[in-house]
Amino acid sequence: MAITYHDNSDDPSEWQDTEPTPIGLLERVRDHGRVWGDLAAKYGVTNPDPPWKVTLEATCDMLAADSCIVPYEEVDRNTCALPSLERRAEEDDLSTTIYADVPYPERQLLALAHSMIKHGLFDEHELADQMKDVEGRLTGV
Amino acid sequence: MSEHEHKPAPMVEEVSDFEILEMAVRELAIAKGLFSAEDHRIWTEYVHSLGPTPAAHLVAKAWLDPEFKKLAVEDGVEASKAVGVDWVLSPPTQFGTPSDYCNLRVLEDTQTVKHVVVCTLCSCYPRPVLGQSPEWYRTPNYRRRLVRWPRQVLTEFGLQLPSDVEIRVADSNQKTRYMVLPVRPEGTEGWTEDQLAEIVTRDCLIGVAVPKPGVTSNVKWNVHKAVHPVEHH
Repeated sequence: MAITYHDNSDDPSEWQDTEPTPIGLLERVRDHGRVWGDLAAKYGVTNPDPPWKVTLEATCDMLAADSCIVPYEEVDRNTCALPSLERRAEEDDLSTTIYADVPYPERQLLALAHSMIKHGLFDEHELADQMKDVEGRLTGV
Repeated sequence: MSEHEHKPAPMVEEVSDFEILEMAVRELAIAKGLFSAEDHRIWTEYVHSLGPTPAAHLVAKAWLDPEFKKLAVEDGVEASKAVGVDWVLSPPTQFGTPSDYCNLRVLEDTQTVKHVVVCTLCSCYPRPVLGQSPEWYRTPNYRRRLVRWPRQVLTEFGLQLPSDVEIRVADSNQKTRYMVLPVRPEGTEGWTEDQLAEIVTRDCLIGVAVPKPGVTSNVKWNVHKAVHPVEHH
C-alpha cells in the first residue's frame, strides 16, 4: 500500500507554547454554561449546531485575514490579528488539556477566547464586562 | 387552530453562557477595531450559504460528461464555475476568501486507487464547494492517524477496501485544497445529475465513504481523543 503524503511547507519556528493556565472567566463559562447538545435535547431542536456557530466561524476568519494562504513566516501581523495556524494549534493544545471535556463547538469558542486573551487582543476584565453587557441585552426583555 | 396552520418549529428558549461569550468576543473584537461589524455580517452570510451541494454536483456532472471530468481533474477551480462557484469572485471580497482562495485539486478515484483528504496541520478544507468541515475532520485523532493507518481509519468509517486498492492520502495546505471524485457506483445507469448528486455525500467528497444508491447521509463517527496528540514545535 502506498501513501502519498504531501507535507505542509509551513515551519512555525516562531511558535509560542500554548499557555494552558486556566482563565477564571472562561472556567466559569466552561463549568456553568449549558452546551448546545443539552439545550437542543431539552427543547426538541434538531439542528446539530448552535446558531452562533456560523458567526464564530466568521469571527475566526476575520481575525485570520489571509493567514491561511501564505506561509506562516509571511503572515502580516499588521493585518492579521490571530493567524489561523496559530489559533488552530492552540485550540488543539487547549482541547487536550483544560477544555478536554467540553464538546465542540463550545470548545472552539473557549479556545478562541483563551487565545485572544493570551495574545493581548483584549483582557479578561474587558471580556467579563462585555459579557455582562450582552447578557443584560439578551435577558433584559 | 386550523388544521392548515403549521406548528412552529421548536426553539431553544434560554440564553446560554456560550451564546453570551460568542457575542461578547465578537463585539469586543469589533470595538477594538480588529474587523468591522459590516465585514463580519457580510462574511457570516457568505459562510452561512456554503455547503456540499456544489461539490456533489461537480462529481455528478463529471460522471455524466467525460469532457467535464477531464476539466475537473485538470482545473478544479475552473470546473467549479459550472456548479456556481467562482473561487475568486463568489466570496464577498471579490478576490477569494481569506482562507480558501487557492488551488482546488479534484482527485479521481479508480477501481484500484482510493483518495482521502486530510489537513494534518489544522483543518484546511475546500469550503467554497463543500461548506464547513465536520467535527471529526478537525480532530488530532483523524489528522494524525489517517496518514499513518489510512486503511484502519477508513474501516472505522465503515469503508472496507480490498487489499489491492491503493489508498492515497492528500494533505491540504495553504496552497491547495482537495476533494475526491469517487467512482460512479453500479446501479445508477440512466440517473439524472440531481439523482446522482444526492448520493455524493460530504463523506464521499472527503473520501471516507463511497457513493451507494440509496445512501444519502453521512456516517455518524464518534470522536475519540488522540492518545498522543499532534505536537506543535
